[in-house]
Amino acid sequence: MPRGRSLLLALAGGCLFAGVAGGLLRLGVPVGIGVARALAHGALMIGSLGCVIGLERAVAFGGAPALAVPLAAALGTLALLAGWPAGAGVLLLVASGLLVALSTAIVRRQAAPHTVLLTLAAGGWVVGNALFVAAAPAMVVVAWWFAFLVLTVAAERLELTRLMPRRRGAGVLFAVAAALLLAGAILTIASERDGSVVYGGGLVAMSLWLATFDLARRTLRTEGFARYSACALIAGYAWLAIGGLAWIALPWVAAARDTALHAVALGFVVSMIFAHAPLMVPVILRMRMRYTPAVYLPLGLLHASLALRLGAGAFDAHLRQWGGVLNAAAMILFALTVAYGARQKGPAGNPAANSTR
Amino acid sequence: MTPANPATEGVSAPVPPPFTFRGDAALCPVVTRALGRVIDPEMALNIVDLGLVHDVSVEGQAVSVALTLTSAACPVGELIVDDATRALLAALGDGYAVSVSIVWDPPWTPARMSPKACVIMGWL
Repeated sequence: MPRGRSLLLALAGGCLFAGVAGGLLRLGVPVGIGVARALAHGALMIGSLGCVIGLERAVAFGGAPALAVPLAAALGTLALLAGWPAGAGVLLLVASGLLVALSTAIVRRQAAPHTVLLTLAAGGWVVGNALFVAAAPAMVVVAWWFAFLVLTVAAERLELTRLMPRRRGAGVLFAVAAALLLAGAILTIASERDGSVVYGGGLVAMSLWLATFDLARRTLRTEGFARYSACALIAGYAWLAIGGLAWIALPWVAAARDTALHAVALGFVVSMIFAHAPLMVPVILRMRMRYTPAVYLPLGLLHASLALRLGAGAFDAHLRQWGGVLNAAAMILFALTVAYGARQKGPAGNPAANSTR
Repeated sequence: MTPANPATEGVSAPVPPPFTFRGDAALCPVVTRALGRVIDPEMALNIVDLGLVHDVSVEGQAVSVALTLTSAACPVGELIVDDATRALLAALGDGYAVSVSIVWDPPWTPARMSPKACVIMGWL
């Protein structure tokens, strides 16, 4: 198991859970950690995810220097936890700048729409971090951070659609959805109100594109890991649409804020993590892992608890708290399930090999 | 008559592989079958049907394989290289040296997929 990668992944995981604890604290759940530090919830979550995405991209590119991307992100996130926001801002800016450089190097290796979009997405992280350093309004910063995550996922899914015959207009529609999302994010800087509507439209458009053209619709009919992953992806696309509608409603309905943030962050992004981690963790750590149907448990809990939090929880603070606690429980259960799968070393090289043709 | 190669025993008549094969033709079906057991986990398809195998050459007991990937941004390359090496060593038996590398030129296109993969993915 490569030590550097294991350490970076463990750091990212640790910071992610510190971020989750900060989220619970915001919901009024006592979690026993320092309030000020944990309240950098959003920055902690995005920094940790940036570290994981950077690690994935560095492994794809190969070579130790590429690990500077996840290292800078991990240090930035640790600086947040250490209560040093100024240093954290600079380190996260460096991490995102390095991710743009690494993604550009990958474009040189393979110039394709998805590699270009991954670079553009990393650029979104740079802008988000710059706005964070400049203490821009939270929703403006978040719009750019989410653009980074949503466009990264979209680019990776776009790449996989090359395997299927693509229906006419799919390429143009994808470009329209991505452009709308970016235009919305840019507009939020000038006018949070107008930007949020366009941005929400971009999120809805992207979710419709993914639900219509993604490979997951086909892999849903397979079995084992591929089917589980497809379930997580499709559920995530549904939450992305709900999150998009909440961004559209934001200027008029202040209560839509939790949905705008967490339908996207938990419903979409965390579901994407659930879909890919059983595959990517063994790839990054160069270890064997067996597919276990137990992965459906945290996935079901994540979506059910989010429905509780954003549905009934919108009318009852107590239920909202419970939803949040169960969101966190789903993530802990997921980490335990992946660790369990990694202990059950399969004869084949990856979880998909145990279950597919 | 050449002595029987234990690696080729019990293997059916060769069919043209979907990649360039140079070297002992009797090993071609063994290599194809071994690589056919290597799954690209994201695509849930094996690397031969996906058309990821470009080139296999066997010189004496040295086997070298050139693979490509559908995306340069995807980290599964290392895993596929490991799995392909392991599968070939297991199929060929002792005495063979296997080297698997990743190449980006020519790039992968959907036209490289096998008829079986095309049926699964809805092309045919």
